[in-house]
Amino acid sequence: MNKMLVCILGLFVYSSLSAQSGYSNFATQTNRIQALAKVHPKWVKVKSLTKTNGGKDIWQITIGSGNTETKPAIAVVGGVEGHAPLSTELAIGFAENLLLGITSDSIKNLLNKTTFYIFPNMSPDAMEQYFASLRYERQGNAVSTDDDRDGKNNEDGYDDLDGNGKITWMRVESPVGTHRVHPNDPRVLIRADVSKGEKGNYLLFSEGKDNDKDGTFNEDGEGGVWFNKNLSFKHPSFTQGAGEFPASEKETRALLDELFERFNVYAVVSFSSNNNLSTAYTFNPQTANAPILAGWLQPDTKVNSLVSDIYNKSVALKDAPASAATGGDFLSWGYYHYGRFSFSTPGWWVPKTKPDSTKNEKAFTVEDAAANYLRWAGQQNISNVFTEWKTIQHPDFPDQKVEVGGIDPFVLHTPPYSLVPDLVKKHSSFLVKLAAAQPEVDIINVKTEKLANGLTRITVDVINKGALPSHSKVGERSYWVKRINVKVNNSSTQSIISGKKIQLLNALEGFGSTQLSWLIKGNGKLSIEAGSPTTGSKTIEVTL
Amino acid sequence: MKRSIKQYIAATAFSFSCLFATAQNADQIFKAAGSPATPKVAVSWNRYYDHAGITEILKKIAAAHPDLAKLQSIGKSFKGRDIWCLTVTDFKKGNADQKPGMYIDGNIHSNEVQGAEFSLYTAWYLTETFKDTRFIQELLADKVFYIVPTINPDGRDSYFHEPNTGSSPRSGVIPVDNDRDGLVDEDGYDDLDGDNEILMMRRKSSTGRYRIDPSDPRRMIQVGPEEQGDYEILGLEGKDNDGDGVVNEDGYTFQYDPNRDWGWGWQPNYIQNGAYKYPFSLPETRAVMDFVMKHPNIAGAQSYHNAGGMILRGPGDPTDQVTYNPQDVQVYDIIARKGEELIPGYRYLVVHKDLYPAYGGELDWFYGGRGIYTYSNELWTPYLMFNKDATRNPQDNSNFNFDRYLLFKDAFVDWHEYDHPQYGKIEIGGFKKNFGRAHPGFLLESDAHRNMAFTIYHAYHTPSLKIDTVTEKDLGNGLKEITATISNNRIMPTHSSHDLKYKIERPDYISISGAKTVAGMIVENADLNITREQTNNPEQIEVANIPGMSTVTVRWIVQGSGKYSITVDSKKGGVVKK
Repeated sequence: MNKMLVCILGLFVYSSLSAQSGYSNFATQTNRIQALAKVHPKWVKVKSLTKTNGGKDIWQITIGSGNTETKPAIAVVGGVEGHAPLSTELAIGFAENLLLGITSDSIKNLLNKTTFYIFPNMSPDAMEQYFASLRYERQGNAVSTDDDRDGKNNEDGYDDLDGNGKITWMRVESPVGTHRVHPNDPRVLIRADVSKGEKGNYLLFSEGKDNDKDGTFNEDGEGGVWFNKNLSFKHPSFTQGAGEFPASEKETRALLDELFERFNVYAVVSFSSNNNLSTAYTFNPQTANAPILAGWLQPDTKVNSLVSDIYNKSVALKDAPASAATGGDFLSWGYYHYGRFSFSTPGWWVPKTKPDSTKNEKAFTVEDAAANYLRWAGQQNISNVFTEWKTIQHPDFPDQKVEVGGIDPFVLHTPPYSLVPDLVKKHSSFLVKLAAAQPEVDIINVKTEKLANGLTRITVDVINKGALPSHSKVGERSYWVKRINVKVNNSSTQSIISGKKIQLLNALEGFGSTQLSWLIKGNGKLSIEAGSPTTGSKTIEVTL
Repeated sequence: MKRSIKQYIAATAFSFSCLFATAQNADQIFKAAGSPATPKVAVSWNRYYDHAGITEILKKIAAAHPDLAKLQSIGKSFKGRDIWCLTVTDFKKGNADQKPGMYIDGNIHSNEVQGAEFSLYTAWYLTETFKDTRFIQELLADKVFYIVPTINPDGRDSYFHEPNTGSSPRSGVIPVDNDRDGLVDEDGYDDLDGDNEILMMRRKSSTGRYRIDPSDPRRMIQVGPEEQGDYEILGLEGKDNDGDGVVNEDGYTFQYDPNRDWGWGWQPNYIQNGAYKYPFSLPETRAVMDFVMKHPNIAGAQSYHNAGGMILRGPGDPTDQVTYNPQDVQVYDIIARKGEELIPGYRYLVVHKDLYPAYGGELDWFYGGRGIYTYSNELWTPYLMFNKDATRNPQDNSNFNFDRYLLFKDAFVDWHEYDHPQYGKIEIGGFKKNFGRAHPGFLLESDAHRNMAFTIYHAYHTPSLKIDTVTEKDLGNGLKEITATISNNRIMPTHSSHDLKYKIERPDYISISGAKTVAGMIVENADLNITREQTNNPEQIEVANIPGMSTVTVRWIVQGSGKYSITVDSKKGGVVKK
């Protein structure tokens, strides 16, 4: 009876999921996450790592089977940047997608060999702004901060001057303007290039007033610390959103504490504006040889290329915008400070548009992201993404013409929801293929040679059956990454004459192997075990 | 029953001896200059105290001097011990947490124990001499001391109560898998002879490279390249517990380094050996950070280590030269040069250059992260043995001579035979853990006093603000110009130059109340009348900094007459009114 109820509940939940018509706010995210655990208790565990200052849980979904800690694992992280609801959608969507297929042998086999740790939203405080009555791109959590370091907190945030419930832009006519109108799209402003003799006629600001009269607009609004600036690699101390020191925030520490105890994680995949999936990092000897490592080590860049190929084949998005991790970011932390293969993608970006000749569009004479977006949105019949410029009275510019309008918040990196199911499917397929390449230890070519009375030489190859190495090169240096332990379990009547009882291997390359041998005195059987958290383990029995 | 009688006798004996120590008749005592003659709290400064001992002394000081000392726990260690902070100031004068603060701690490394006694001595000295020393009275009226004797109580107790060398444990006690084999602390030192010391192991060997020193048979000396020795050195006391062919490779004595866990220039353990998970990932460093963040009045800081006789400043990170800028280095130099003078045998050095590169250290965060002028003193130097240069190398003959003639061989365990499971017949012996890094008893108080004097000099030179002059000028039309000059008559500015660069602490506020303010400005040059107006909120002039040994002048134009008052409010310089 109870089981029935669960099933019905499950069906109900699924039907409501498929009816998902827009991005999920935090309450809906939580419902979707809880539903997974309820419907699939055998495969899914959900726990809260901590609550943010805004009172929101940081959820962790563990998907796997049996003792999940003994299986190589991928960590999947969304909400790395609070203004990107797509990232959370991709993370939860992946979990849902995986479990939709749980009746198939391929997914069951996958989950018997691989564990997924999914952290759908690291910025729940900030992300709620997407759904708020006043919508603006926010990355800071609910901690009160002094962004401009003047001794006062949150004293100059945005102001919705035109009362449309979203923060857009504000342009002020000025003879010393920094911006001019885009030659191919009069809705868009672009920076005037003084070095080319161009003259600007607008000053451009985000929408708001100088509430504290310090000469700067909107420099210290509500919130907070940005998760993607709060990590320890090249922490941008004393800049807006960074936090007073690395990992200053509860949610940051909760995730790090959790991951440092999960020794089986071999790869971290996060969804953020930082991108090394559509384009892999290349080897830079200067940064990779610096005393403070600042570039991927050469063998690891090769792994990045391999994974990037898998990504591009699975997802097939072109023309990714250039992206550089600027410090304090999660992508860099995953590699440099966690010592694992770390990958990140925005998950979606605006395609490069071609002029539509039927609409009399011409090629852009100046490349600009907003202009390209508006052309793409027009071609796709996506409306309601631009606010027409409208003149307002501005207290800080009493005698100047001030207009509010411009491209809407979020749209440049947040696709219409109708595109999301397909993006979830493609990214799920990528993650499953990445798991198929995971390191896996095996012991093969077991050879025993009887040398004399009761003396046997055992020779084996310890191999990695996976395409990915057992550890990243940087991980080989870190004491938060376990080595491969090869152990001989001999009985008290058997003694090891040569070779080590316990032997630690730093790593095994993708499809790599190491030969080991021992001289054993005695008779009967013994076993040899090889393994590490990121490779799983394998035990063989040998008869002397 | 028997037991409780014994305990009773012991307790009575103890209280009697306490009485004796404290209740000597005042006229039996002749005061030695500079020391409290009849302290309320009697403490022997020629021995060490474990965490329970420190706790008791701190509680006694706080109870005996309620107007001068308040005790609080600023957090718990990994094992749940309190991290005690004694706040010492004249609580009857001013608001303690608004006075310029001096933070002092010790014992961040478990085996570097005497920093706790030096800190405790400071608290004891300040409270006990307050009564009859005018300098101390003035000091505690103006300044506040935050004294945290040990920020690593777990490690401290494990150093005292577990078998160790003088150099172990350096770490706290959170278990770590040092050799990354999946097992934790499976092969540490072994106290083979059960004397609570980890000593050296030696074995007779026809191919050995050592022989016994004929002038002192306790000492091993290396033989020359063409000579034959008769001993080999097998390392520190221990065996191969886990059968992996390595001795003592994963014990609790070096898990991680608490002094690599701070939030400025932090690097992971493959770059900085000993780093833990991320800055402030250890509960003890986290407690200190929380306390410092809540006390922006801390302007100077001192952390006590051992050994080597050093007054250290950062940077620890060789790539971080820009942080220690010339203006701040000037302040560092003046105070530390005085320290060299006050503490013979100690030298003023820079961590990365004169010691070794160290990322994520405590002094780097205090200064880099909070703008606080901070030193680490490496306590104890072999210089103190015979008041001349010597080395800290245990094989240096002066160690043996000092032990022989001044400590009467109390610091050395004589070589004795032992049957080792892997090495066979060996001998165990060597210097005890209380020698080499920790002060011998009779030198403890005098060096504590000298180091304290250095921290008092440091504390004295935190900013001291005064509203020097207030002048008025009639501008006509009912307008009046009020000009106030604020002086800082100590070496430290209210904001270190590094603080100014990143705006770590808010500006100082100089405000006028009781008058209708029309305009306000900073006077940049009074003689040439160069001013900079502050149009927004002119009643409260924001001054980025009040430099050391210097003045700042502000001016208001006010309307009407009547009484007004001026307040200077500086996080690190205190609050003054006129």
